[in-house]
Amino acid sequence: MATTTELEISPPVGDHRRRPPSRLRQKLGRFDVKASPYIYISPFFILFAITGLFPLLYTAYVSVSKWNLLTGRHGSAGFANYVAVLHQPFFWKAMRNTVSIFLLSSVPQIILALVIAAVLNANLRAKTFWRMGVLVPYVVAPVAVGLIFGQMFADQSGMVNALLVKFGMNPIAWHAQVLPAHIAIATMVNYRWLGYNTLVVLAAMQAIPNDVFEAAIIDGASRVRQFFSVTIPMIRPTLLFVIITSTIGGLQIFDEPTMFDQQNGALTAGGADGQFVTVTMYLYQLGWGSQNNLGRSAAVAWLLFLVILIISLINYGLTQRIASEGGPARGRKRRKKVSA
Amino acid sequence: MRTTRKIWAVAAGISGLAMIVTACSSTGGNTTSPTTGAPAATTAASTEKITLKIQTFNEFGYADLFTQYMKDHPNITIVHDKAAKSDDARAAVKNSIATNTVTDDIVAADLDWMPELLKSSDFFADVSSTDNKGRWPDWKTAQATDTKGKVIGLGTDSGPQGLCYRKDLFQKAGLPTDRTQVAALLGGTSATWDKYFSVGQQFMAAKTGAAWFDSLGALAQVANNQQAEPFESKADDSITVANPDSPAKKVYDMLTANTAESAHLAQWTDDWTKAFASDKFATVMCPAWMTQIIAGNAPDQKNWDIADVLPGGSSNWGGSYLLVPAGGTHVDAAKALADWLTAPAQTAAVFAKYGNFPSQVDAVKDANVTSKTDAYYNNAPTGQIFSNRFSAVGQQPYRGSHYFDINDQFGKALTRVDVDKTDTPAASWQKFLDAVKQLS
Repeated sequence: MATTTELEISPPVGDHRRRPPSRLRQKLGRFDVKASPYIYISPFFILFAITGLFPLLYTAYVSVSKWNLLTGRHGSAGFANYVAVLHQPFFWKAMRNTVSIFLLSSVPQIILALVIAAVLNANLRAKTFWRMGVLVPYVVAPVAVGLIFGQMFADQSGMVNALLVKFGMNPIAWHAQVLPAHIAIATMVNYRWLGYNTLVVLAAMQAIPNDVFEAAIIDGASRVRQFFSVTIPMIRPTLLFVIITSTIGGLQIFDEPTMFDQQNGALTAGGADGQFVTVTMYLYQLGWGSQNNLGRSAAVAWLLFLVILIISLINYGLTQRIASEGGPARGRKRRKKVSA
Repeated sequence: MRTTRKIWAVAAGISGLAMIVTACSSTGGNTTSPTTGAPAATTAASTEKITLKIQTFNEFGYADLFTQYMKDHPNITIVHDKAAKSDDARAAVKNSIATNTVTDDIVAADLDWMPELLKSSDFFADVSSTDNKGRWPDWKTAQATDTKGKVIGLGTDSGPQGLCYRKDLFQKAGLPTDRTQVAALLGGTSATWDKYFSVGQQFMAAKTGAAWFDSLGALAQVANNQQAEPFESKADDSITVANPDSPAKKVYDMLTANTAESAHLAQWTDDWTKAFASDKFATVMCPAWMTQIIAGNAPDQKNWDIADVLPGGSSNWGGSYLLVPAGGTHVDAAKALADWLTAPAQTAAVFAKYGNFPSQVDAVKDANVTSKTDAYYNNAPTGQIFSNRFSAVGQQPYRGSHYFDINDQFGKALTRVDVDKTDTPAASWQKFLDAVKQLS
């Protein structure tokens, strides 16, 4: 904005018109070219600094303090909070559960999303209907999903156990055993997020130019071969996005396991033996339960942050490898033709 | 080089996304700091136009009372901020203390939150007056009084407990079905846990297919509340559960010895809720507010009845208080309103319409209360029964700094044995002790 006003003022009218631009003008012009893009994107970063960076750093500050939620800060704690948390078996239990639920939800979810997207990408009748159909569960509120699945997976009166018994199997103690509890919770997550991921992947698939497939067909590639050698490498950036976002979401899981436990009327209990307590639930219990230990809670938040960072980087590396395996890593020659 | 930079870019991107949720945020409201001096003195009698905000949860039954109060005090507008769940209200109160902001002129708090709110008693105004002194029994006021004797809460309702039972199942097992006979069978005013479990054995022997009670966790709530110092020593607030002869251990051993009489249904689960309509258990510990929950869970089950008896004597479970934050803009007007809402006449009226049992000595004797009958329980005189149960409550347990957490862990320990069946009583007790040791 400032530059435009300057422009209007600096060139005087009349015979000076052909004079080379003034130094100031040149400087401003250069400044405009260099700085404007940053100014245009700055609102995001300013907002990010306020809502993202500041809380993150402040959480770090809280995590090295003795901090009671109600009575405030009581001096520095050094790394005592981290040490205390890392020594609690319950923290490791929560970490185990979180990773287990994350794997049980994200892995099948992304594989299924790929398959369903591939099917939806084929020539179907009433395309829009099917595509909208997969997104419907995403519209359901997580708490509602929790209530519905909570009833389905009830230990004694649940529908799932009734079906198992009908097929001659033993009912499963969904709330008492570790793995069944994780599977039940992962089912809720998958139910809700599968459609969303499918649509993202589908959009990427539709952006693949048709001639690539045509070339592959001329080369005699089967449908399956096309999927692995053309589709997957071509949607790699999108796949990366889907995997990273589901990693972050999966490791921060809170709503579903919270809704899964209604015992004692206490929120965020996660089972009588911590069968399905997750890291975020543990964080909430520490900081907002009756311990009110915000310092330790913040330490857990930072540990979780680091874990998410590490797992995301591993995922990034894996995705790079998996997606390029069909390409340059092996069969370089054929790849050339395909990608031509 | 390129890949390293890319990795960093990705790392930055991921951390950005991750930050948004891992970082905590606090919701601030009206930022009136309680420390900014004395509030403007406004009394209910003055004519200045003021708005009073009051936060409650679940159902306090205040709608009619607010209308009446605003009619009597034309200068006062009451804004009712009703949280759907008590957990939400608890989080809001704690947030307001943590950030030192006052959003509501009056806040409701459950008995269970009082120990932690009392630690921040400076945040709240002293609500005692010569007028309301002696309105409640000592045990009710004691739980809203801090160590210096400041009273921060005005009692609203209470949860004196009786015993709800299934007439038809009692009949099947050859036990008496009339509510006075049932009370006598279990020992009347000198009912003991031993008697309760031995009648339970008799009931189980009849093989009706139903269990004697819902779960050990439900009984623990009563049994622990009957101890003077269930988990912590009143003298120095130290945790006593690890002592071999601690009251908690005695309760635990007594309960786990009778797991066979349990229906293994943890309270508040879907299975438990549905069980009231079917024939899963014959008795359930019944605080006054539970009567409405049973009626709601099983509207078509006509066989529930209620007896004026409780194993181990008497006990109170739950009940709430109204608190006035000291930093509000209209503290005196808020105190006046809270005082009026918790006066016997008003709480008796709430009971008549909503069933929230009062906690005031006079309200409990009020004819509106004692004459109430409940059609769902075969016209049982619930008002009189709970009035008797209320008068029998002698004391409340000492609740120290860790009461809430220990009680929670105690419940989990019993659930592991009784509902999940993942542990033996001894192993589960060890886990309980380990968990308690980790409390900071």
